[in-house]
Order: sequence, then C-alpha cells, then structure tokens
Amino acid sequence: MATKKADKVMTLTEAASLVRDGDTVALQGMGTQMSPLALVRELIRAGKRDLTIVMIVGGIGLDWLIAAGCVRRVIAIIVNLDEFGMAHAFRRAVEAGEVVMEEYSEHQLLSRLLAGAYGLPFLVTRSGLGTDLIALHPETTRIIACPFTGQEVVACRALVPDVAILHAHRADRYGNVQFFPKPIWLDADVFPRAAKKVIVTVEEIIENEEIRRTPIHTGIPYFKVDAVVEVPYGAHPCSLYPFYAFDRALFQEYATASRTVEGTRAFLDRYIYGPTTHAEYLQRVGGAEMLLRIRKWE
Amino acid sequence: MAEIARDYTVDELMVVTLARQFRSEDIVLNGTVSFIPVAAIMLARATHAPGLTWVAGAVGVDAYPEPLSGNTLDPTMWRRCVMYLPQEHMWSYVHRGVLETFCLRGAQIDKYGNVNNTVIGEYARPRVRLPGSAGMGDMGSLDKRIFIWTTTHTPRTFVERVDFRSCAGYLDGGDARERLGLKNGPQLVITNLCVMDFEPESKHMRLKSLHPGVTLEEVQAQTGFRLLIPKAIPPTEPPTVEEIRLLREVIDPRGMRKLEFRGAPARA
Repeated sequence: MATKKADKVMTLTEAASLVRDGDTVALQGMGTQMSPLALVRELIRAGKRDLTIVMIVGGIGLDWLIAAGCVRRVIAIIVNLDEFGMAHAFRRAVEAGEVVMEEYSEHQLLSRLLAGAYGLPFLVTRSGLGTDLIALHPETTRIIACPFTGQEVVACRALVPDVAILHAHRADRYGNVQFFPKPIWLDADVFPRAAKKVIVTVEEIIENEEIRRTPIHTGIPYFKVDAVVEVPYGAHPCSLYPFYAFDRALFQEYATASRTVEGTRAFLDRYIYGPTTHAEYLQRVGGAEMLLRIRKWE
Repeated sequence: MAEIARDYTVDELMVVTLARQFRSEDIVLNGTVSFIPVAAIMLARATHAPGLTWVAGAVGVDAYPEPLSGNTLDPTMWRRCVMYLPQEHMWSYVHRGVLETFCLRGAQIDKYGNVNNTVIGEYARPRVRLPGSAGMGDMGSLDKRIFIWTTTHTPRTFVERVDFRSCAGYLDGGDARERLGLKNGPQLVITNLCVMDFEPESKHMRLKSLHPGVTLEEVQAQTGFRLLIPKAIPPTEPPTVEEIRLLREVIDPRGMRKLEFRGAPARA
C-alpha cells in the first residue's frame, strides 16, 4: 500500500499502461458529466482489448471504447447519450452479439459495488423484485429469504473492479483527491473504494499544504490512489461542474456521426487517433474559443 | 373559478395533467430526459402544491433552477437547492419510502403497467437493444406511486405483453404485485391521445379521459391490447389560462417539453 509521500504523478500514457487487457474497469461518468475522457482516449490509442467496463450510467466514453473494439462486456443500468439519444456503437455491438450487456437496476449495481467496497460476499436489496433483471445473471443476483423474517430480498454479489478511473477537480502528488463539491454521484463515491487500483486525472495538481488547509473537499485519500495525472479539461466533452459545461456541439456531432459505422470510424480518426496529445485534441475540438464557451456554461 | 384556456397544445395538456397529480406533501425526484415531468413538477409547485419537495436532477434538494434549458440531470438543475443529495443517501430515502413518487416512460408498456426499456426480442441477441432499465428497474419494485408518460401512443408502445420486464408494474394483474410484497405501483398513464388508469380489482389498464379531438376508436386502434372502457368517458380536464401562462413564460419558455415529440427512439 502506498506511503504518504510516494509521488504518483505520471503521464496519461504511463497511467494507461496500468490498465491491462481483460481488466474490469470502473469508468466514472454520469450522462454528460464528470468522466475521465482524456484517459479513455489514451486507452483507445493504446489498443486495449477485452475490457469489461463498469459504469452506473454508460455514456460517450463507453461508446467510443466499444466502437474502437476495446470492450467485451458492459456492466451498467443504462447506456445512452443522455439528451442526444442512443449510444449507437453500443446498440450495434450488442445486437451483433459482439458485446455482452450485463444489466442491473441501479440499487442492485450499487449493492454489488458496496459489497466489494466492504469486502463482503454480497449485500441485499429489494430493487428489481418482479422484474426480469434478476434472472438475467444468476451468478450475481439471486432471490433469497431473510434469515430473520423470511422476507424475499435480492442478494447482489460483490463486484471488485481491477481498476477505477476518474476525473476530479484537483489533487496533490500523493493522491489526495479533491472535488467541488464532494462526490455526489455514486461512481466517484463508490468506485475508488471498491476497486483494486485507482487512477485519477485532475484539472490541477496542487501542494500537499493546500490540501491540509482545505480537507473538507478531499473525497479520496492518498492510500487508495495509485496514479495522478494532470489533464486540464480532462473530462471534455463532458462537464466538470462548476468549472466547465459539457460541449453540446461535440456531443451532437458524435450523436449524428455514430449513426453509421463509417461515421463513427471517421469521428474516432479525427478526434481520438488523430491528435497525439491532449493539447492537440483541445485544438482540434475548438481550442480557446470552445473552452471559453464551456467555461461560461453556454 | 379559474379561466379555462382555449389555446393550448398536447404537450401542454400532458404537463398540466401530470402536474395536477402531485400533492403538496409529495417528495418527487426526476430522472434523465424528463422534460414533461420536470415541467409538471415546477408547475405544480407554482400552483396548487407549493409545499412539494423536488429533488432536482436527483441531487438538488428543493432546488429553484432557471427555466428549463436541457438535460434534466444536469448540475444547472441544482441551483438554489438546500443540499446536494449524495446518491447513496438518495437510495436510502427511496428504499425506505421517504421518496414515494416517480415518473417514467419506456419503449413498451403492457396492459398491467409493466414497462420495457431493455430489449425488443431476445435478451442475448436482441432485435433492438434499448438503452436500459435505469431507475425504472428500482422504482417499480420499491413501492413508488408511478406516473407513466409517453408521447408515442401506438400499438408498438402499448403491447399485450412486454418483451422484457424492466419495471415491475402490476405484473400479471390482480393481486400479483401485492403477493410479492410490493406496494403502490402505476397510478396513471398520460399519453399524447388520452389518460388511462388501472381498474382496482384486475389492475388492467382502463381509459380515463380523451384529449380534445381524439376518439375512442382511435385510442383503441392505437393500443395493442383491449382497453377497459368505462361507461362515461369525459374529456381530459383542460388547462387554465394561468397554467398555460406559467408554462410558456416562466417554466419552459424555450419549449424543451416539445423535444419529447421528436419521434426519437424511446429513452428512459
């Protein structure tokens, strides 16, 4: 386990090498919000294969990974592009049998992750009773009787991802990660606790003394973090509230392009395989003018 | 007696009808891509239900955001709230029943109010892979009073039996839901053609009122199962002039609620 003073700062490329082919990767992202998409683009360029991606709400990063052939299995409650509609690469891949969707209700998936976070074999919920969701995966959800009352509940088996990847507001070199406000969505809260390894990209790396002056904002402590990467606008085209909004134009461009396989390929070539650095990527998606627009939440 | 509006559209009628279901003591949270419910919640709070608590975007407790601008889970929805609700807290309130009301829609709805937003066809190799169950997989099983809305009242949406049960409605009808220990359930279905409820004994979907200009024959033709038809079928209560003014000028001047009529594939 990490020491207090281990310097965990690395490059995107180095961080991506911590993710191995076949890993179960918990990927933060809530609709159009807070997702480590610079790192996702790096994973795609690194040609990762056979990943199982865990997201509560699967979004654009997952659809890119599927389109690039990195994904074998998805664990989520829904996959779409929020108000921009269907996640087409996901839809095509599942319909073709190339990717397996392991679907849960939200509280079933949360229960699996919390069991993982606590090191328990399972936790129970009432969520999903009466639906077809329980019988989908007898290896991970089963109806059992409460030993005290006999009431039927759904047992949700622990899920321990190999690695969690997140984007946050700032951190120090040792991996004390701060959020403004502190984690609200389940992924930033539970993924780092449940996963074996944690990689966090941040807008800014700050001094340890600044963390000690403002511990009220710290959401993940250094001892749970393995890698810190400084990537300003690292969530783009997703938002990082309250720093910047999601990039409506790029979401719309992908939603339209991804209706066809060719369009999806062209989008990936232009925005993911083309730029070799994050700075080049930001130039290509609109540069300073676009950044000003998203900072103003327009 | 409030003045009845003469000039209104079907999206406005749906919002007003839904708004009138909310009570001042309700605590309501909204889901993703839910312009009609969000507009209805804001309208209810501005009219007959000032005490209603809205957990905006599932996070902002008692938020007072600007007019609707898009993306009903966005942080812009949380403005002027009293608390950002951590989602693990939210789920405890949902599980315990503190939060009791939820609105949802889906690709298929059957005669007992079960909803599918997962797949058309077989699960493993679906003909159409839909986005997924998301919150409906929880809310149907966790005793919520559920209001279902859809802007596509067609035989493709209203089916005899859903291909996949993403949301537990009244299951196989009768007391099936109760026997499983699930309370409450679907209350009302509000569509672009009519309003429907559920007959108390059989839990079979039943016509309640028709929107202006819509006939019984049309509704039956657009429904993929035999609807229960009551003896008297009133017209859907029209909006008041004040409700329409609030909706157009204060709550949703950009007309985000109309986005739900784009004919895009159903999303949760």
